[in-house]
Amino acid sequence: MTRAQKNFDYGILLMTFVLLCFGVVMVHSASSVLSLRRYADSFYFLKRQILWASVGVILMMILSNYDYHKWRKWAPRLAVVAFVLLVVVLLPGVGRNVNGSKAWLGIGSFGVQPSEFAKLAMILFLAHLLADSKDRMGSFWKGFVPPLFLSLVCVGLVMLEPDLGQSVVIMGTTVILLFAAGARVSHIGSLGGAGLLAFGGLVAAAPYRMDRITSFLNPWKDPLGTGYQIIQSLYAVGSGGLLGLGLGQSRQKYLYLPEPQTDFIYSIISEELGLLGAASVLLLFAVLIWRGLRAAIYAEDEFGALLAVGITGMIGVQVLINVGVVTGSIPATGVTLPFISYGGSSMTLMLAAVGILLNISKQGAPTVR
Amino acid sequence: MRVTRGMMRRRLVALLFILTGALALLVGRLLFLQIVQAPWLSKMATSLHTRTIKLIGTRGSILSAGGKVLAYTASAPSILAVPSQIKDKQQAAALLAPILNMPAEKVQAALSKVAMAVYINPGGRRMTEEQAQEVRNLHLQGIYITEEGKRAYPYGSLAASVLGIVGQDGGLTGVEREYNSVLAGQDGYIGYLSYAGGQPIPGEGETIKPAVAGDDVQLSISVRIQQIVEREIEKVVAQYSPDHVTAIVENPKTGAIVAMANYPSFNPADWRSAPQENYNRNLAIWQTFEPGSTFKIVTLSAALQENKVNLADKFYDPGYYEVAGHRIKCWKAGGHGSQSFLNVVENSCNPGFISLGERLGKNALFHYIKAFGFGKKTGIDLPGEGTGILFPLSKVGPLELATTSFGQGVSVTPIQQVMAVGAVANGGKLMKPYVVQDIVDPKTHTVVMNRQPTVVRQVISPQTASLVRQALESVVAKGSGKNAYKEGYRIAGKTGTAQVAVNGRYSGSHYIVSFIGMAPANNPKLVAYVAIDYPRPKNGAPVFGGVIAAPVVGQILADSLTEMNVPPDPNGLPKKYNYFEQAPVTVPDLVGMSLVDARRMAILSSANLKTMLSGSGKTVIAQSPAAGMKVPPGSTVRIYLGNKEQASVVH
Repeated sequence: MTRAQKNFDYGILLMTFVLLCFGVVMVHSASSVLSLRRYADSFYFLKRQILWASVGVILMMILSNYDYHKWRKWAPRLAVVAFVLLVVVLLPGVGRNVNGSKAWLGIGSFGVQPSEFAKLAMILFLAHLLADSKDRMGSFWKGFVPPLFLSLVCVGLVMLEPDLGQSVVIMGTTVILLFAAGARVSHIGSLGGAGLLAFGGLVAAAPYRMDRITSFLNPWKDPLGTGYQIIQSLYAVGSGGLLGLGLGQSRQKYLYLPEPQTDFIYSIISEELGLLGAASVLLLFAVLIWRGLRAAIYAEDEFGALLAVGITGMIGVQVLINVGVVTGSIPATGVTLPFISYGGSSMTLMLAAVGILLNISKQGAPTVR
Repeated sequence: MRVTRGMMRRRLVALLFILTGALALLVGRLLFLQIVQAPWLSKMATSLHTRTIKLIGTRGSILSAGGKVLAYTASAPSILAVPSQIKDKQQAAALLAPILNMPAEKVQAALSKVAMAVYINPGGRRMTEEQAQEVRNLHLQGIYITEEGKRAYPYGSLAASVLGIVGQDGGLTGVEREYNSVLAGQDGYIGYLSYAGGQPIPGEGETIKPAVAGDDVQLSISVRIQQIVEREIEKVVAQYSPDHVTAIVENPKTGAIVAMANYPSFNPADWRSAPQENYNRNLAIWQTFEPGSTFKIVTLSAALQENKVNLADKFYDPGYYEVAGHRIKCWKAGGHGSQSFLNVVENSCNPGFISLGERLGKNALFHYIKAFGFGKKTGIDLPGEGTGILFPLSKVGPLELATTSFGQGVSVTPIQQVMAVGAVANGGKLMKPYVVQDIVDPKTHTVVMNRQPTVVRQVISPQTASLVRQALESVVAKGSGKNAYKEGYRIAGKTGTAQVAVNGRYSGSHYIVSFIGMAPANNPKLVAYVAIDYPRPKNGAPVFGGVIAAPVVGQILADSLTEMNVPPDPNGLPKKYNYFEQAPVTVPDLVGMSLVDARRMAILSSANLKTMLSGSGKTVIAQSPAAGMKVPPGSTVRIYLGNKEQASVVH
C-alpha cells in the first residue's frame, strides 16, 4: 500500500456520496409534482440530476488522481478565464436571463454559470497567491489588500449579474482563506467595519433596502410579496416537526414553495424528514467540514492547505447561507445546498472541488502531528 | 509577522469551531421551528392546503295548521365555476353569457376571480332546467352545475306577511326570519388537500361534512280561514280603495293566530319586485294608531270589574261631557238622551264612557290598560312588533283620562287589541300570541318543539268577562255593530272609528275604521279584528266602523265557524230591527205533517214562507232550513215528502 492510498480520506468520499445519493432522492421527491406539471414527466429533474451527478463523480475521480500541485501552474490562467467569462456573461445578447439575473452562458440546450466556475478559480488563484505570501501577511497593503482586491473585483462582476448569493459565498470564502493564511484579525475586523460602513451608505441612499433585508424577520408583513417564499419555507419546516411527514409526503411541494428542488430543497427535507432528518444533514456537513479542515492541517504544503481550506470553507459557507435562508434566520439570498440542490453547474463544480480536496488528503501526512 | 504552520493549524481549528458552531446555531433554529413553533406553523400550513366547498342545508318547510305546505325549498340548478380549471376564460364567458342573459364581460369577471369556486351572479344562480341543460351541453371545463335551493310558495301570496321573505343569507322577515336558525339547518362542506392553484391533489381523498336539512315549522295559521280573511280584504279593497287593511283572527283559548293578513300584500316568491314597505313591515303587529271605540271594551271591563257600574244604571247624554272646563262632544250630535249603561255600550256613547273613566280614576283605568297588555309588546313570535304609546301616568290629567276612556290619545297595535279582547273572550285570561305551533323534523316527522299556550295574566274575573261579552253581543244585536250580526253565530263585538291626525290635527276625511268581534259570545272560539285605513266610500257615505268594518268581521266569523264545524246556536240575542228592516221569522216545524197542513202552516205562521217540494208521498219527512232557524220573511222552505214510516225514522 502506497502512502497515498493510506492517507486517502475515505471520510470525505463517504460523506460526499451519502449527501449526493440523499440529494438525488430528495430532488426527485421535491420536484416530481412540479416536473409533472411543467414537463409532463415527473422524472424530468431526477434524470438530469443523475446525469450531472454522474458527470460530477467522474470528474471528481479524475481530479482526485490529478496532482494538486499542478494547479499552481493553471491557477493564474484559470483566473483570467473566469474574469473573461464573468465579463462576457454581462454583454448584451450573450448572457441568458433567468429570473431577472444574467448569470447563465448558453451552450446549446445547456447553460453554465460562470460564477460557479469563478468560485473555484478564485479559490485556486488565492491559494496560489497566499501560499507565497507567508512573509507579507502581516502587512496590510502588501499582504492583505492584493488578494482582497482581486476577490472584490470578482464579487463586483458577480453583483452586476446580479447574483447576491454567489457574491456572498465568494466574499465569505475569501475571508476564510485570508484568516487561514494568517491575516491579522484587526485587518479582517477593519474589513468588516468597512463593509458595515458601505452598507450604511447604501441604506442611507435608499432606505427601502433596509426593509428588504429585514423583511426576513417578519415575512408576514408582506405575505404575498417579499415574504412569500420565506413563509412557504417556514410552513414546510414547521410542518415537519420532530419526525417529519414521511419521505414523499411533502404538501408544500404542491406548487406552494416555488422551485423546491433548488435553493429551497432543505425546506422539503425538513418537512418530509423532520428535525431528525434535517439535523442529520447538518451533521453530515459538519463531518465533511471537519474532514476537509483536517486535510488542510495535514496537507503537504501551504498551497495544499489553503486550497483545502478554500474548498471546505466554500462548502461550509454555502450550507450556512442556504439553511439560514430556508429557516428564516438570515436575509434571503439564493445559494444552492452543496451536493443536494438540483443544478448542473453547481453539482459538477462542487464534485470537482471535492476531487481536488481528495487529492490533497491523499498527499497529506496524517502521521505528522 | 511570519505565518508559521503552527499558527495556521490553530486558525484552522478555530475555523472548525466557528463553522460547526454556526451549524449548531442552525440546529437550534430548527429545534425552535420544528418543536416550539411546529403546532401553529403546521396548522397554518394545513389551512393553506385545505380547500372547502360549502354545502348548503336544505331549508325547512313552513306548514299550515292543517299540514298544508305554505313554503318549501325546491332545488334549482346553479353554476359553480372553478376558475383555475378554465383555460380560455374569454371563450367560456362568451359561450355562457347568452344563456345566462348577462353581458360577457360580467361573466368573464366572475370567472377571473381569484377563488377556488365562484357563483356567477346573478344569471348563473337558480336557473331554469332548460338553461342548465344548455350549459351542460357546452361541456366547458371547470363549469359545474350544482343544485341550489329556491323557495316556492304553493299558495302564492297567502299569509305572505306571516311567512316573510328569504334572501341570499336566510330569512329576512316574518317566520322565515324569526325561525331562521330552525329552518336553515346546518351547512356542511367538502374539504380536500389542494395544489397551490386550488386543484385537488389526486389520491388524497376528501373530508365530507354533510349538510343537515333544517326543521319544518308548523304554523297555527289555518289555510281556509286565512283564505276567507284575504277574500274579505279583497272585497273591502274593491269597495273602498283604502290605503291599508289589516286583519287578525285569533283562537282566544290559546293565543294562537289563526289568520293574519295585510293589504297591500306581496308575492314572497318575487318580493324584490314589490315596494319595500309591503314586505318589510307587518302592519298587524307593527302599525300603531288610535284605536277609537274598540278601546271602550277596556274601560267597560275595568268599570265592571271594579264594581263602578251596573249595566242597568241610567245615564243621560246631552250630547257632550264637560271635563275641566272643556265640552267633549258625543259622536252623535244632540246626544243619546236618557239610556241605560248597556245602551251606552250599544250606542258607543262617548260621554257615558267618560263617566266610567271618571268613576275609575286614572290609576285604576291605566292599571287595567296595562294589564290588558297595552303599552308593551305582546311578544308574538314575529319580528318587527310595535309597542304603542300610552300617556305617562304622571301626565294624565282629567282631559287625558277622559279621552283615553273612549280610545283617543292612546296608540296601540292591532295585535295588542286582539289579545286584549281575546282575554275578554277567554274568561279574563290574557294569552301570549303565537304563529308557530310546532317544529317538526322533516325526516322522522317527530315534533321537536310543541308550543304550549302561555297565560300572561288574569286581567278580569270570568264573571266580568262574561258580562262584557253579553254587552258586546248586545252591541251587535241591537247597537252600533248590527252590520256584523249573523243569525245563529252569536257574534259579540265593538266598532271603532278613529280620526287620523295629520300634522298634529285630526283630518276631516282620513279615518281608520275597525271592528273587533268574537263568536259564539257565550263560549268564543274565535276573535277577529279588521282595521281599514282611509276607506273612501264611492257614494260619499259617512265613514263609520259599524258600516264598513263590522260586516267584514261578521262574514269572517260566520264563514270561519262554519269552516270549523261549529253548529249555529239559536239561543243568541235576537237582532233588533229598524222599521225599514224586515225582522226575520222563525221557521216552523213541518216534519210529520201532511203536505196540505205543512203548506198552510208555512203561510199561517205569519212568515209568509214559500214551499218547494222534493220527492213524493203524503207526509213531510224533512225540511230545510230546520225548524227554529231565522230566515227573512218570504223565504223558501224546501220540503221532502215521503210516507209516515220514513218520517218517523228520519225524525
